Amino acid sequence: MANTAQKPTEETVEIEENLKEKLGSKILELKVPRNRRIFVSVEKTAFREAVEYLTKNLEFKHISTITGRDAGEQTEVIYHLNRGGVELSLKVQVPSEEATLPTITDLIPGAVLYEQEVHDLLGVKFEGHPDLSPLILPDEWPAGVYPLKKEWTVEKIREKIASSEKR
Amino acid sequence: MSEAAFQVPVGPQHPALKEAPENFTFTIDGETVFDVKARIGYNHRGIEKAAESRSYIQNLYLVERICGICSAAHITTYAQAVEEALKLEIPPRAKYIRTIIYELNRIASHYLWLGLAGHEIGFDTLFMYLWRDREIALNLLEQITGNRVTYAMPAIGGVRRDISPQMVENAKSGLSVLEERMKYYKKLCLNEPTVLKRAVGVGVLKPQDAIALCAVGPTLRASGIKSDVRADDPYLVYDEVPFNVVTYDGCDVASRVLVRCDETLVSIGIIKHALDHLPDGPIRVKAPRIVPPAEVVSRTEAPRGELIHYLRSNGTDKPERLKIRSPTLGNIPSICKSLIGGFVADIPIALASADPCFTCTDRMAFVNVSNGKRWVWTKEQLRRYSLKWYQQN
Repeated sequence: MANTAQKPTEETVEIEENLKEKLGSKILELKVPRNRRIFVSVEKTAFREAVEYLTKNLEFKHISTITGRDAGEQTEVIYHLNRGGVELSLKVQVPSEEATLPTITDLIPGAVLYEQEVHDLLGVKFEGHPDLSPLILPDEWPAGVYPLKKEWTVEKIREKIASSEKR
Repeated sequence: MSEAAFQVPVGPQHPALKEAPENFTFTIDGETVFDVKARIGYNHRGIEKAAESRSYIQNLYLVERICGICSAAHITTYAQAVEEALKLEIPPRAKYIRTIIYELNRIASHYLWLGLAGHEIGFDTLFMYLWRDREIALNLLEQITGNRVTYAMPAIGGVRRDISPQMVENAKSGLSVLEERMKYYKKLCLNEPTVLKRAVGVGVLKPQDAIALCAVGPTLRASGIKSDVRADDPYLVYDEVPFNVVTYDGCDVASRVLVRCDETLVSIGIIKHALDHLPDGPIRVKAPRIVPPAEVVSRTEAPRGELIHYLRSNGTDKPERLKIRSPTLGNIPSICKSLIGGFVADIPIALASADPCFTCTDRMAFVNVSNGKRWVWTKEQLRRYSLKWYQQN
């Protein structure tokens, strides 16, 4: 990709610097692999502050999607926020045993379905979300089976469904 | 039928049209829609999960099958993600060929949608004409790629087939016909009373709602917001090809029709430019099978709007995580919003106007607020009801 090699332009660099200044030591990692792409990790405690700053001060009004990823003991939730052409991925890790995060639907109403999707597939609870009923999984889906977790292989899910149908 | 009812098969796995069940529950008061709740996943195929157990090359063909109508969009976005993770530069000719296929795919998709919109409002002549002309685009695609639907053109590191000088000639003459026809259809949509009566002021989505609910693609641009990944975050050769981002500010179904008419014309312009400036050289470079650990966000403007693939590689030949968000999922909250306050008879066309990959096969449950009555209709029953209602009113 010709665009891949592009050096970050002023806009991207400015966002990067604003973030560093505002969040400082709360940033665990900040990467700018190419122009218009920013990856930033924060602590769970600083997550809400970071989202508020990004949406209110830095004008990241659009959310492209939310990715959930099983990282073993931790579950990683990545918010792909967008402003114009700049795609900023805000990453936060929560313990898989007790995966909760505050909702961002009050700041970006368009995030409703994305949070619901991550809740369905990885079991992350979004506190304050208007409706965490199943969006993708069937109503009769066995409780505690989160298909995107690595431990749930296709065979295991099939077995589980078959055994819960027998009952 | 449970209390929640309309089903939408979107997410990454949205199949196209007829084969797509989804469920919406409409709360209505008389003829007016009061509230809408969407429920999707009836056709969830677990593609993200499946991708984790397949190699990068196998996944090319898996992601292409996410959607039949915009298959070029998914495979291109995915190939781009893998190449970025590999830090692999593809040859310029391959980029041009990918752009040509992507835009031809957009033309086929917009022609298809306009035809379906005609069908939804009971204007089947328009449907027949548009689908006849769409064959020109499909024939061109077949000539270049060998396939009418899943083109399988991008390979990791370039494209699989070259475009011959004869194909360039054929494409140019085919595009001229498509251009002339689309100009005619645009004129028709601006003047034909059936279209105007069913489209103007219907399914209104205000700009502030479109932004807040994160609408994408033609749905967003028909609410007057100038946003297009091709212009904002250029990929392939969109930073070398001159083109306009089409917007209309009617915020209604009519604007969504016009945005797609004009976008088809823009796509024709892009392809013509690309054909004229097709660079010489190889079409593919060799790519390693193992992808080093990396994290990539790849975005493109699919026919229905912003498409995003997030890829995380782990140093093996299989992805650690592939997240896909197709444009329809992004548009569901806006679709629901645009239905509220409208007539029941306008549901089919207002729903279809976001060009979701789901408007066809399913049931709709209705709850009448005044008497608490509840019933279920299929989409076809609703379409008939809508046509009859407009004949009487």
